[in-house]
Amino acid sequence: MKKSLSSFILVLFLSLPLSSFAGAPLDSVKGNVDKVLDVLRDPALKGESGKKTKKAKIRTISDKMFDYNELSRRTLGQNWTKLNAEQQKEFTELYKSILEDAYVDKIVTYTDEKILYNKENPLTEKTVEVQTTIVTKKADIPIFYRVIQKGPEWRVYDVVIEGVSLINNYRTQFREILTNKTPEALLETLRKKVGKA
Amino acid sequence: MKKILYFVIACIFLLAHGVLAQYSSAYAEANTSVTSGDQKPAQQREMESSVAVQPKSEGVSTTGHQQTEAREAVSEEEQIAENDVVTIADPIKPWNTAMYHVNDKFYFWLLKPASQGYSTVVPEDIRLSVSNFFKNLTTPIRFVSSLLQLKVKKAGNELVRFVYNSTAGIGGLADVAKTDLDIKRHEEDLGQTFGHYGIGHGFYIVWPILGPSSLRDTVGMVGDWFLDPVYYVNPLEASLGISAYDRVNETSFYIGDYEDLKKAAIDPYVSIRDAYTQNRKKKVEE
Repeated sequence: MKKSLSSFILVLFLSLPLSSFAGAPLDSVKGNVDKVLDVLRDPALKGESGKKTKKAKIRTISDKMFDYNELSRRTLGQNWTKLNAEQQKEFTELYKSILEDAYVDKIVTYTDEKILYNKENPLTEKTVEVQTTIVTKKADIPIFYRVIQKGPEWRVYDVVIEGVSLINNYRTQFREILTNKTPEALLETLRKKVGKA
Repeated sequence: MKKILYFVIACIFLLAHGVLAQYSSAYAEANTSVTSGDQKPAQQREMESSVAVQPKSEGVSTTGHQQTEAREAVSEEEQIAENDVVTIADPIKPWNTAMYHVNDKFYFWLLKPASQGYSTVVPEDIRLSVSNFFKNLTTPIRFVSSLLQLKVKKAGNELVRFVYNSTAGIGGLADVAKTDLDIKRHEEDLGQTFGHYGIGHGFYIVWPILGPSSLRDTVGMVGDWFLDPVYYVNPLEASLGISAYDRVNETSFYIGDYEDLKKAAIDPYVSIRDAYTQNRKKKVEE
């Protein structure tokens, strides 16, 4: 009797789609953020050479954590189709470099801020907003990760800090450029930016 | 006295503007359609999003086939995300751009060196106490703004915070209301109050030294001054000196943030304008 009950439960669990487990998006974000924190707190990585290793490791984590393709498409929105397939690919690469250059440097300076994982806020069928707070001595900073389900994984496509959405902020900038200029000119601007950084 | 009268007149004007906006749809449309990149009227944009939700429905009129193609390629969710974008009119961009550069120099030549020097001399805990002290002084701004929005509980919280921090927190130096009573400060100001009643930004304004603002938030900011005890300090030089000190102390916590924003941006002016608009929208909604 007991055995049949447990196998029944097992079958029940197996038949459930992964997404129905509440908390998967939050756990995914938390898992990745924890990995980053582990790197930052690694006592073996000290000094300038340690900093370089830290940055490289964080980039590896961010590749898995973020869906840069989704992020790029959503950033350009309707303008995405103005780019041909090749341009789209290059845009995604350049945009990724810009974001990593800007934010990895910043993250490496973080020390012992506490992070609270508050809740999940479903946006659509496939997207969820994971709401977190960074507690510093000075203030509480709300950081929301918007994630999309890709197969069994949840990957970040937008980060909202103090109400400011990353992709919306860049969309406004890119839109201003694409109103007057060609996609090729936009790519040239990005190439210069990456080359400079 | 005269200044207060001018301010009241300005408030009445803004409120009338808000009431009109709520009751006249044509008026509201004229306001919302002023966007930087997207020149479509609000109604049309709504219609388009409904097209995207039901891509198979036939006979829906659209604006030119190029956009129709684009919309077929983007998913429903992306369309939703697109509608999420908030924009602000920027008719005085030449002035704003000039002031953006002025403020950039102001930061790098004056504010940043002053804050950096200050923070090397003054320990963080003391700077935090100074910050708490000034935040406690501006309680009237948050209290009155909460009341005007009929957020009675928030107004009450501000009152409790003020009494508790002023006494147990030694004149506001310690934010004991947060640590002991778990009552947090909630940012409210008159600009947000106008926003709460449906008044739009009007347009974007960058003020020298004071930074990004809008027509609505400028009127709010001037009103906030009247609710700030520091404004009533005599002589004017002393009042301005105290404000400058508050600014330097506050900046000491955020050195590097502006630099990072500039580094990350493709067009820093547009990035800041958008961040301002998004952040204010969130604050109004809270």
